[in-house]
Parts: sequence; structure tokens; C-alpha cells
Amino acid sequence: MIEVAGLRVALPPAAVILDNVDLTVRAGEFLVILGRSGAGKTTLLRAINRLVEPSAGTVRVAGTPITGAAAAELRAARRRIGMIFQQFNLVRRVSVLENVLAGRLGYVAPVPSVFGHFPAQDRARAMDCLTHVGLAHMAERRADTLSGGEQQRVAIARALAQEPAVILADEPTASLDPQLTGSIMDLLKRINVDHGLTLVVSQHQLETALAYATRIVGLRRGRVIFDGPPSRVTPPVVRDIYGEAPA
Amino acid sequence: MRRRTPALVFVSVVVLAWIAWDTSADPVRLARGVPWMLEFFRRMVPPDLSVLPSALRGALVTVEIALLGTAVAAVAALPLGFVSARNVAAPPLFYPARAVLNFFRSVDTLVYALVFVAAVGLGPFPGVLAVIAYTTTSLAKLYSEAIEGIDRGPVDAITATGATRLQILRYGVLPQVLPLFLSYVLYRLETNIRAATVLGFVGAGGIGFYLQTYLRIIDYPAASTVLLVTVAMVMVVDAISSRLRDRLV
Repeated sequence: MIEVAGLRVALPPAAVILDNVDLTVRAGEFLVILGRSGAGKTTLLRAINRLVEPSAGTVRVAGTPITGAAAAELRAARRRIGMIFQQFNLVRRVSVLENVLAGRLGYVAPVPSVFGHFPAQDRARAMDCLTHVGLAHMAERRADTLSGGEQQRVAIARALAQEPAVILADEPTASLDPQLTGSIMDLLKRINVDHGLTLVVSQHQLETALAYATRIVGLRRGRVIFDGPPSRVTPPVVRDIYGEAPA
Repeated sequence: MRRRTPALVFVSVVVLAWIAWDTSADPVRLARGVPWMLEFFRRMVPPDLSVLPSALRGALVTVEIALLGTAVAAVAALPLGFVSARNVAAPPLFYPARAVLNFFRSVDTLVYALVFVAAVGLGPFPGVLAVIAYTTTSLAKLYSEAIEGIDRGPVDAITATGATRLQILRYGVLPQVLPLFLSYVLYRLETNIRAATVLGFVGAGGIGFYLQTYLRIIDYPAASTVLLVTVAMVMVVDAISSRLRDRLV
């Protein structure tokens, strides 16, 4: 589903964020990327939909080349890649439903959408996605009046509205209270199992990663140093990923 | 930094003293003028209320000049503001746009009024054009700074959905900056009312025309009525505008 080969991301003058990363994610996997902060987790996720421009290497998602794609092809490919962020990244001043509708932007006619018009079927789909995350009753509320956990659910609904094949989640629970971590991860797991979506989730919390992942990838200083099932994540592997003390 | 403070203060005092000499600033002359000023105010009382209708008519025209000029400028500044924002415009657009803004912003509304009076003749219309000319570029500058200050996160999120550049501006950028834009427009409206009161001095319409005329023919009671109307007009517009602005933020 996702094929990353020889991926390198370097920021001038001298910082190499990712170095020669090869990674193939199969359809339906729940892959968790582990690593210390600064290991390159965020950059790897953002290189997959080219929010970060790779310096070298190739990325393909669902058979479509991402690297080298022209602007229109890239936009079409991005529709199938939902993304969830640590800071939720909702548009704060508009309603919850409008935030979810943004997930339809890649599908609707661009000019009417600029004037705020969305076809009825897209509005219905957005509402369905909001129902799916249990927040239909908050559709008309302003996004910034919701709690952090609710905002992240809205962000998940926005990603679902894209009808994605893949969801990238960058530290989706790091800005939330610990007791909310489980509910957000449960929701992502349900999407993974029920809809058969492929999930790539970065996590710095080891226990959470092991509880939900079907596969773990360990990153250290921009390189993949472990790739395998959670059962093979032994204490020496953990030391490798985190350095001295596990976080 | 602190070590240099005495030297900086000394240099500043010397420079300001020289400027005072160069501008012939003279407290004695000011003191000699005080009785004349008192005489001036004495002659203004009581105001001649028979000119009130024409003063009110002038005030209305001044408000109209400011309103129409600010409204047109608020819209015209939108594209300019976006191409002048470092984080959304490509460098080939950004640098020329910034240069244009800085050039046109350096000229005040009153100077534009002189130019437009010469171009289209006397009356409120050159006043409106002058307000548009100055306000468009000054608002564009404020808009662009608001755009540069936005939160990057929602823009990333909208980009990730496969949205086009225009959709990203509309859904990721605009909701963040719109309340700020409206607040800047109202602030500009307030300053434009003040600027428009003097446009009449150069023949560009509004209440300034009456003030200048009555002062020139030494009709102080009439001039004082015009001044009182001007003060009332500015206070009313400021009060309305600042109340609206408070609601935005």
C-alpha cells in the first residue's frame, strides 16, 4: 500500500533528517513508528504525502507515485491519504461540520467550494463521518469550543471524509490527557479493522505502541533500526531505539 | 547595551537641541502668542449655529468619502495582501509586491488628494480616490502581516486533503485572518474619517472645505460650529467602530 525506497530528507545546510529509509507497508497493517523526539518520525510521515519534499528516493501510495508527481496528480493522490496531527490542526473559528467538510475539498468542484458551496451528498458524507466518531450532535459548534479529545475526533472524521486508503497519524495522542489516549487509539484501531484502512501512526509511548500495532518500525537518527512484530520488541531492541532509558 | 546608555542619551539631547534651533523653536515666541490664541477662542464663542446645516452636510460628505474609500480599498487590498505575504506568495511575486506597497504607502492621503484634484477636478470624488490610493496599500501591508502570522497547522491539514492552492487559502488561511482583516478595516475607517476632514482644504470635498472657508473670511463663530461638528462626527464614528472591533477579537 505504501512503498518507500531510498528516502532521504536533508535540510540545508547540513541536517540529514531521514537517511536511506526503505519501508513497505502492506494493506490493512497498523504500523507504529517508534523513536525518540527528533528521530525523524514526523518527517517520515510528512514525506509520504509530500508535506515535506524528499531530497532523494521514491514514495508510492496505493500504486500511485507521490515523488515526481505533478501538482494535479499529487492533489489526486493526497485525497487517498488522510492525515492526523498532534495538534489536531482544526480551523478553530469555523464549525465542526465545516472542518469535516474540508476533507471533501479534493473531490468537489473547486470554484463553488471557494464560495462555501458543497453538494448535498458531500455534506451527508461529512455528517456520516462525524456520526462515526460519535460527535454528530456537535456539528454546529465552533471547533475551538471542543475539548482536545473531541477535536482529535473531529480531525479523524475529516480524514475519513477523504475516503482514504491510508491514514497517517503523527503522534495523535501526545497532546491529550493520558486517559484519552486509549479512546483515540481505540478509534483508530476500529477504523483499521472495520474499514480495512492502512494506518501508519507515530508514537513515542512504548506501551501504547505495543498494545495496538501489528508491526513496529523503530527509527533512530533518521534510519530504520528495527522492523518487526510487537512480540519481537525485546528490551535490547527498546534500548537500541531509545538509547539509554526508554521513555 | 547598558554601558552605552549615557552616550546615547547625550547624543540624543545634542541632536534634538540642534533640531530645535534649526526649526526656530522658541518658548518666548510661544508665550507671546498665548494672548492671541485666547483672543481667537474668545471670538469663536458663541458659535454661529446658522451655518449648522451646511456643516452637517459637509460632515456627511466627509463620512461618505471615508466609507466609500475604505470599502473599496478593503476589497482591493485583498489580492495585494496575499501576494505580499512571504508565507503564501512565491518570491517572484512577493518582492515586487512589497516594493509597490512600500512606495505607495510613503505618500499621505492629502498628497494623493492634490494629485487627484488636478486630475479629475474639485469635489468629493478626488477625495474618495485619495482615500482609496492610500488605504489600499496600507491595508494590504496590514493584511500581509496578518497572513504571515497565521498558524501553519490548519494550512498543512487542508493541504493534506488534496485541496488546490485557492482552496487552501480559502479554508486554511482566510478563516484565521478574516476577523483581523475586519478589525484593520474598521481601524482604517477611523483614521480615514480624520484624514478626510482636511481633504476639503485642497478642494477634495467634505467638511474641511467649510472650515477653511470660514477661517479665511475670518468668520470665527461659523468656523467654531464647523469644528464642533467635526469633533462630534469623529467621536461618534470612533465609538461605533471601536465597539464593532471589540466584538471581533
